[in-house]
Amino acid sequence: MFKRISLLRALKRDRWVRPFLRRYRKTLIFAITIGVVTFVCGAGLMFSAGFLISKSATRPENILLVYVPIVLTRAFGIARPAFRYLERLVSHNWVLKMTSRLRQRLYDTLERDATSFSSKYQLGDILGLLSDDIHHIQNLYLRTLFPMFVAWGLYALIVVAFGILSPLMGLWMLILFGLMIFAIPLWSVLVNGARQEYEKDVKDQLYVNLTDNVLGIADWVLAGRSNAYLQLHDQNERQYLATARAMHRFERLRDFLMQLLVLLLVISLLIWGAARFGGQAGGPANWIAAFVLAAFPLIDAIAPLPAAAQETNVYTNSLVRLNNLPAPTGQSTTAPTITLPAALQVRDLHYTYPETSKEVLRGISLAIKPGEKLAILGRSGAGKSTLAALLRGDRTPTAGSVTLNGVPTAQFGDQIADYISVINQQPYLFNTTIANNVRLGNEAASDDDIWAVLRRVGLAKMVADLPHGLDTKVDEAGLRFSGGERHRLALARILLKDTPIILLDEPTVGLDPITEQAVINTIFKQLAGKTLIWITHHLQGIDHFDQVIFIEDGQLAMHGTPTGLWRTNQRYRELKKADQGL
Amino acid sequence: MIDRELFQLAGAKSISQKLAGLDVLQAFLIVGQALALSAVITQLWQGHSLNWPLLAGFAACFTGRQLLTWLSDRWLDHYAGQTAQTLRRRLLAKLFQQGPALVQAQGTGSMITMTLDGIAEVRQYIKLLFSKTLAMMIVPVVVLIAAGCLDLRSAAILLLMYPLIVMFMIILGKAAQAKAEKQFGNFQKLSNNFIDSLRGIATLKYLGLSKRYSRSIFNSSEHFRERTMRVLKIAMLSTFALDFFTTLSIAVIAVYLGFDLIKGKIDLYPALAVLILAPEYFLPIRNFASDFHATLNGKNSFKRIHQLINQPTPPTVDLALHEWGAGDELKLDRVQFKYQNGAAIAPLTLTIRGYQKVGIIGMSGAGKTTLINLLSGFLTPTAGQIAIQGHPDLASLDIPDWRRQLLYIPQNPYVFTATLRENIAFYTPDVSDKQVLEAIKVVGLEDLLADLPEGLDTVIGSGRRVLSGGQVQRIALARAFLDKQRRVMIFDEPTAHLDIETELDLKARMLPLMDQRLVFFATHRLHWMKEMDYILVMNHGKLVGQGTFADLQQDNEYFQQLMKEMRGED
Repeated sequence: MFKRISLLRALKRDRWVRPFLRRYRKTLIFAITIGVVTFVCGAGLMFSAGFLISKSATRPENILLVYVPIVLTRAFGIARPAFRYLERLVSHNWVLKMTSRLRQRLYDTLERDATSFSSKYQLGDILGLLSDDIHHIQNLYLRTLFPMFVAWGLYALIVVAFGILSPLMGLWMLILFGLMIFAIPLWSVLVNGARQEYEKDVKDQLYVNLTDNVLGIADWVLAGRSNAYLQLHDQNERQYLATARAMHRFERLRDFLMQLLVLLLVISLLIWGAARFGGQAGGPANWIAAFVLAAFPLIDAIAPLPAAAQETNVYTNSLVRLNNLPAPTGQSTTAPTITLPAALQVRDLHYTYPETSKEVLRGISLAIKPGEKLAILGRSGAGKSTLAALLRGDRTPTAGSVTLNGVPTAQFGDQIADYISVINQQPYLFNTTIANNVRLGNEAASDDDIWAVLRRVGLAKMVADLPHGLDTKVDEAGLRFSGGERHRLALARILLKDTPIILLDEPTVGLDPITEQAVINTIFKQLAGKTLIWITHHLQGIDHFDQVIFIEDGQLAMHGTPTGLWRTNQRYRELKKADQGL
Repeated sequence: MIDRELFQLAGAKSISQKLAGLDVLQAFLIVGQALALSAVITQLWQGHSLNWPLLAGFAACFTGRQLLTWLSDRWLDHYAGQTAQTLRRRLLAKLFQQGPALVQAQGTGSMITMTLDGIAEVRQYIKLLFSKTLAMMIVPVVVLIAAGCLDLRSAAILLLMYPLIVMFMIILGKAAQAKAEKQFGNFQKLSNNFIDSLRGIATLKYLGLSKRYSRSIFNSSEHFRERTMRVLKIAMLSTFALDFFTTLSIAVIAVYLGFDLIKGKIDLYPALAVLILAPEYFLPIRNFASDFHATLNGKNSFKRIHQLINQPTPPTVDLALHEWGAGDELKLDRVQFKYQNGAAIAPLTLTIRGYQKVGIIGMSGAGKTTLINLLSGFLTPTAGQIAIQGHPDLASLDIPDWRRQLLYIPQNPYVFTATLRENIAFYTPDVSDKQVLEAIKVVGLEDLLADLPEGLDTVIGSGRRVLSGGQVQRIALARAFLDKQRRVMIFDEPTAHLDIETELDLKARMLPLMDQRLVFFATHRLHWMKEMDYILVMNHGKLVGQGTFADLQQDNEYFQQLMKEMRGED
């Protein structure tokens, strides 16, 4: 039966929840204890109030005889809200602290393969998804685990207390509260948990489906088939709504049964009270009201449990997804150092992606001398980006070698960033100030250094005109800047970094030719003297280069200088002409 | 706090009347339950044995109350479901009626969230609001009256506490809000910071900073925690106030009742009943408060959806147009368009005849796409007249009959997550496999087809198999090839992002498809210009030249300069 609870399955080999429970055990226990005390105060308030008025009704001669229940009533009345407040603060603080650790862990996990991200996780949204997962784990703690632990604590307390008073009643409480705290939530997980999981799947499907079709809305409208889609959506949604309805039906029934159990609890307390304390006026009979009234506040601790238990199925996916990420490894090797100038040498390079059989690169040899400018052309999928990843050492060749002054580039690890910089298609601008973004190139750079590089990339005037100058925030994902400006900012970063080799992976795709030409001109002017390796998709600005290669099917199809190719290669001439519109 | 519009929804009145009825009944059962229970206890206290009929009465009241909860939840669930469904239908209908313009204005993501999550939130909102507000207005009143009949002073305490609770909750709520708002800038920044770092992780790695950044992730998250806690400390005070006044009034009532009992001013039975009723008095407002935050999202969603549905739709022109022929004419007379952000298309006048290939050239931001959207009817001009096939004085090209003739091919045509066949035959769902295969051959998709494990039945698209930019264009062309009825092709920068070899191959396949069609072709790739019969030159939202390639090369200065700059000769 427990195998059907997917959360338990997911927790079995888990690295994201259990270790943290253990790590912050003390605070956790503290929070749970306060939670239990809160409910004890709630029940205690009604208990002492019930006893107080029963005892008062016996009209004791001295008010001092009810002094203790009066004090207790007041104390519980004040302690309950205070403890509840404290409990919420402690538990939230605890969860947020964990979140910090979880985030760091997620970051470390992803950092390892950061450069092969796009190929590994196709959807850019996966990042948002993962960060939502962390949020889900937060909820799992706050809404399921905490209340559950607290209820268990209360359960133990109640059973032990009654067991001491009368063992039989203790046993009965064990059964009755067991039904409320374990059986009903369990039943809820088994019946509705499956439904909830199914509902979530259907909803995710609806999401994907709707996104797909809203993105293609122009086609629906133009094809005149909008109504066809509306009907289709109605149909897809039907399943979802039916499941939701079934769930709600079950929830109503479940909540009703839960309340009947509460009724049973009250009645059994009355019967037990009558038998144990009844029979004569006043005296022990004062306890009857105390016990019966104390039962009601306990419902607050128990009522949310089934819904909370049922929700866990929704979090399971998050847990599974996080656990499926590779575990971060803390290896740090000492990287080799080389002396400049740096020359790249590619010898008979072959590459096949892991777990695939098709060879992407088949025997490429190249020598890139210091300060040389190389253009890499080829159709999409020809292997240009793979070559770039190999040059930078992000991947290790299956055969042949890529060496930087004789050292294989893959050996440098993160240190390669000191020799090779990258500008890619969509230079990422962080959601912080311009100064911070540029300073990523060199954290020790002064404001003057930053202004200097901004001047070199032609952005100084534009930045100076901004309301806060260097401290202007780049809007999220750098949308505030046009394509050309983003590339210039990325270039400024690279200029500060000042590496001998710069790798450009189709940096100007999507720019109009004039903007593109301007960016190209700036790059060439500012990076004069450096080694440039430029992957490009057409021939704009090609005459600036020393070497041009065309990759086709993983091999070099053309190789030469621009002027040489123009003289001797018919195909090159045709492409160049087309590009120029001649 | 409560939307008036919500109560104007269809059926709102009848459901709230029904629910109010149930609430009144329920309140009476609550009172009955309390009286029965205290009677049972009092008799036991007096030394009598258990009064079973009274106990049965208590059980009946208790069960009856729960049954009523069940019933009202069922009714409300049904009502909320129906209402949400209706809203959803209207929202999607609006969306698919207005198409890309609305999506562009709202953002794809936000439209989808609104349709799925937004509607679910509204449903929840309707449910909570109807049940909780009505209960809050009815139950405490009945309970208070009952308590007043039993003991006036206790009732007075209860009555006094209510406004106190509401007042403190409002004051503390406001304080928390102010505090939260003051910190909102940082708050937002820190919560975005994490996703931001994840997105930029490759850049960090390229710069060799990624390892060191890990620590900074932790620190900023800890910073976030401290600030959040500072806000929560105040935000949670309002719950504390509610709790505090509730338990405090119960304690105070119990103590006063104790004094009165000692003095013999009251009997145990009414005293117990009042004590049992006191928590019931506060229960509705506690329920309301605990769900209040959950309803805020629903409230906002409801407002946004309501606004969107009731947004006026630009009028479509119902006009019978025939299939575009060689002798037809399209005239734009001083047509203008202004975006809300101030960008605009200056008045432009032009006449297009028959099966022409019309190139539109200009730098990015020159207004090419806006012109294309005006021609396809996705945008409605803010001024000017259009004449088509002899129908004069039209305000826009948003004409269903015109749309039926259009083939629109943008830079990234959309490929649905559907089979290759469904994607290719999207505009012509009834074509045979033979025709689809022919289209595949014509546009050069044979390699893709050979690669697909289930041939035409293989599901492609972003969710499954990602296609290259060239393949996507070929699919769009295959659609155009199959739909021979559509005689107007509109291209928006279809090849600029492709590598030069793919581009040339595609060009060779595109040109035959343009025969016998009216073509609008926006691009900044120069080699296309020679293929065009007529060229429109755009600059900063203005039409600065029109004519044949030869004419423009001869005497349009901007065009000459543009050509030169685009070739990189300066």
